[in-house]
Amino acid sequence: MHKTPQVNEVNEFIEIASDFEDPLEVIREALSNSYDAEATWVDIEINQDDEGRNTLIIEDDGHGMDEQNLASFFDLGNSNKSDAIGYKGHGTKIYYKSDEIRVETVKEGIRMESVMDQPWETLNDRELPTYSVNTEETDETSGTRIEVHGFRAGQGFDPEQLTYNKIEHYIKWKTIGGSTAWHFDDDFHEFDIEVTLSSHIDDTRDKIETSNKLKFPEENLDPDGEFVAERMCKHFPPRELTVTLDDGRELTIEVVGMVGGKEARNDLPTYGKHSAQFGIWLAKDHIKVERYNDAIGADNEFFHFFFIANCQDLELSANREKIRNKSGDVYQAITDELERFMTKVCQDTWYNDYIARRKLEDKKRSVQTQETSLQERLTKTKEQGGLSPSNPAEVIAALERYSANGSPETIEIADFRLDEEVNAIVDTGEEYKNAALEVKLSDFFEDETPLTHIDRFICWKLGDLDALTKTERASYLGEPIRFDFNNNEVRYGAEDAKTIPVLELADKV
Amino acid sequence: MVSFDVIAEAGEARRSQLQINDRTLETPHLFPVVNFYGGGNEPALFGGGIHRTVKEFMINHPPTTGDEDYSDLFHGVMTSISSLTDYGIREKKLEEYLDNEIREWDKFSDYDGMIFADSGGYKILKQDGELEGADFKKDIDQDKALDMQLDLGPDIVVNLDHPIHPDDEFEERIEKMEKTAANARRLAERRDEVDGACYVTVHGYYEAMLERSFDAIEDELGQPIDEVFDGIGLGSLVPRKDNVEVLIEAVSDCRREMQQRGYNDLPLHVFGISGNAMPLLVAVGADSFDSASYLHQAVNGKYCVNLFETVPVDEADLDACDCRICNDGLHRDRMRNRLDDLYQKDILGSVAAHNLAIQQRELRRFRQLIAEADEDQIATYLEEAVKDQKGFRKFAYKLINERIKPYFDDDGETSYA
Repeated sequence: MHKTPQVNEVNEFIEIASDFEDPLEVIREALSNSYDAEATWVDIEINQDDEGRNTLIIEDDGHGMDEQNLASFFDLGNSNKSDAIGYKGHGTKIYYKSDEIRVETVKEGIRMESVMDQPWETLNDRELPTYSVNTEETDETSGTRIEVHGFRAGQGFDPEQLTYNKIEHYIKWKTIGGSTAWHFDDDFHEFDIEVTLSSHIDDTRDKIETSNKLKFPEENLDPDGEFVAERMCKHFPPRELTVTLDDGRELTIEVVGMVGGKEARNDLPTYGKHSAQFGIWLAKDHIKVERYNDAIGADNEFFHFFFIANCQDLELSANREKIRNKSGDVYQAITDELERFMTKVCQDTWYNDYIARRKLEDKKRSVQTQETSLQERLTKTKEQGGLSPSNPAEVIAALERYSANGSPETIEIADFRLDEEVNAIVDTGEEYKNAALEVKLSDFFEDETPLTHIDRFICWKLGDLDALTKTERASYLGEPIRFDFNNNEVRYGAEDAKTIPVLELADKV
Repeated sequence: MVSFDVIAEAGEARRSQLQINDRTLETPHLFPVVNFYGGGNEPALFGGGIHRTVKEFMINHPPTTGDEDYSDLFHGVMTSISSLTDYGIREKKLEEYLDNEIREWDKFSDYDGMIFADSGGYKILKQDGELEGADFKKDIDQDKALDMQLDLGPDIVVNLDHPIHPDDEFEERIEKMEKTAANARRLAERRDEVDGACYVTVHGYYEAMLERSFDAIEDELGQPIDEVFDGIGLGSLVPRKDNVEVLIEAVSDCRREMQQRGYNDLPLHVFGISGNAMPLLVAVGADSFDSASYLHQAVNGKYCVNLFETVPVDEADLDACDCRICNDGLHRDRMRNRLDDLYQKDILGSVAAHNLAIQQRELRRFRQLIAEADEDQIATYLEEAVKDQKGFRKFAYKLINERIKPYFDDDGETSYA
């Protein structure tokens, strides 16, 4: 006996419609469909009413749909497009997350109008939704208009989430609107894209008017000026890389890109952090999918680069968000070749000049910062009336000054090691003594350093006398301790107490 | 009679003929390091385990080499006086060895390749200027070094040098350069005793350092280097052998220095470097190399797949190799340990010969490319050679981009797919 595995159709529809993570994916699907329909323009309108109900209207002048095309539009996994972006028959199912889908399409003198009512509600009632089809002859030119009412975009289309800027970025980074095919294809099919948001969503600017060409910022190879590296930009012309696999298959990778500073990159419709947008993109159908920044290597920062490497042999997940065949030899061969190519880019003379110029400008900026910092320090020093140590080196300077100006004793630094607990050996003229040299004496006791090998304390000032009193009352490393500042000494230990002289420099210099 | 004739150039790479008396060597050339004396007597080819097997390849000893003659792999070899005591020999033995020139021994009488006798400065410096055997210690200065070099009957000798080290303080480096220069002067004074070529060593990792090294020698000689010496040897690179960027800069700057001082007609030998860096160094103008890596790799059971990769010999795919050794049944059987009564030296001797064949094959290819004077082909060759070497290829690409042909021209045109 043979049995045929069953498919739960309703679940499949719900799964596929839910598989799209970002509501903006409707724009990607709409643009891909219009491109596949050879449209010369496509207009997208997104409206949201006061109750947060979204309406999406997509209209193009493509070749329209016949009954079979319409069936594919609504069916799952039944695309009749073979050599096209949307060959899987999954894309339009994102529209099912709505209250109504209305399609008006004209193809070769036939006009069809189709309505699917409450697709999402019906699916969630575990039923397959149906759609009506009305056909009539017409003399209208071909084209398609799709209205999706009550589209469930979560909060994705809410005014605080959606802006023209975000959509424009999305179009150029995630859809056929950011295609680099025009660099490679003489018969490139260009089409105009317009996106209008209702004023309720974003009224800060006019609608988006663009095309499906990704254009890099203007080249700026050697700008004049002192701080110009961020404006520098170079285009790396289109290149077709070919790789032959062990089984003889040949892969073609079409690469084009730019390198540029932040200001240059900002001429593109960037959105958010550049580190999330720039780098080396792998693309299929000239639509960017995932980045492979390892192609750059650790010596270089990937965000200076915007390269798109298109390969039709990449296999994508249903929602086109991920590359599926990463564990295979095709992906390995593509990334290997891309790494080689990017290594060459990184050896480019202009690129290395650009990086050198950035470094130089950073140094110049740090010189400017130094100037400001020095000015501030000078003002502070003048206010203080001279040396006021804030680190051991300055305490040493103060000690030298003290010794040079008729001090009752000679104390010279013979050896100093910043990281040692007993950091100084001093020469008193008669003998060498181990000394702890601190800006504030109280800091020394915070570190709980043993006093065994300390013969002297040298400090700029005593510091926090309350903290020292607290140490005195609590004992120090299990032994009694007494700070006698009248006699400038520390007495430590119960029996055979050790006396350590303290030299406080602040009032002596 | 010594002459060095450049017969073809491609960029900075050059193919030349080094003629010393009646022996000729095609450059770029790799001098495999051979230890002629390993403690044994003449019938045993003076011993040395795998060194002995290598010498048997060198003199074409059929019981070892089989029907094929592989002596051309050893057309020019390097040996060092410092290696004379590698086997802890007694003084009497040393005297016995040095009593005859290498070719005066019956066993070596047919060997017609060039012998480059190194002074072994690096090793002698490490041994506090001494050569130490089982029952003797000899202080080695320039005169003694040359005496011993001449005892070997060499075609090329070089001064005793004091190699610098990357960690040397500036003053230490200057002192070493001055000592090397003084030795060069002494060698120059005894030039007439050498019936062959005399090389002088320079040391440095970049132009300013090399400039100082050349200056020290010229000052000491009181005349241009090419009035006395027939070749330049660039030393001290062994401690930096894994940093190909430093190697490229050193060789390239040395050639530039030679050019500026009018020594472009002298051959440039790079001491102690071979393997993967060799093609890149040829591309920037190195003419010859020496190295024992073919042998050391074999001693450690490593079989060279190409200039970059080695695999344990029992994992080697001999069928994938087109070298003569791997296509010789006898040596395949040896490397596979398929014959009875094989010693390690037999197995590894064949591996050493294979390893050397791989390096020589690459240089042969390079010589052909230079002869065709086609820089594009050289670039393609280099690219192909480093294709799968992630850490290494950026240096090759940089070299190609800067010195052969830019990958991305300013006019937006591109070269090399």
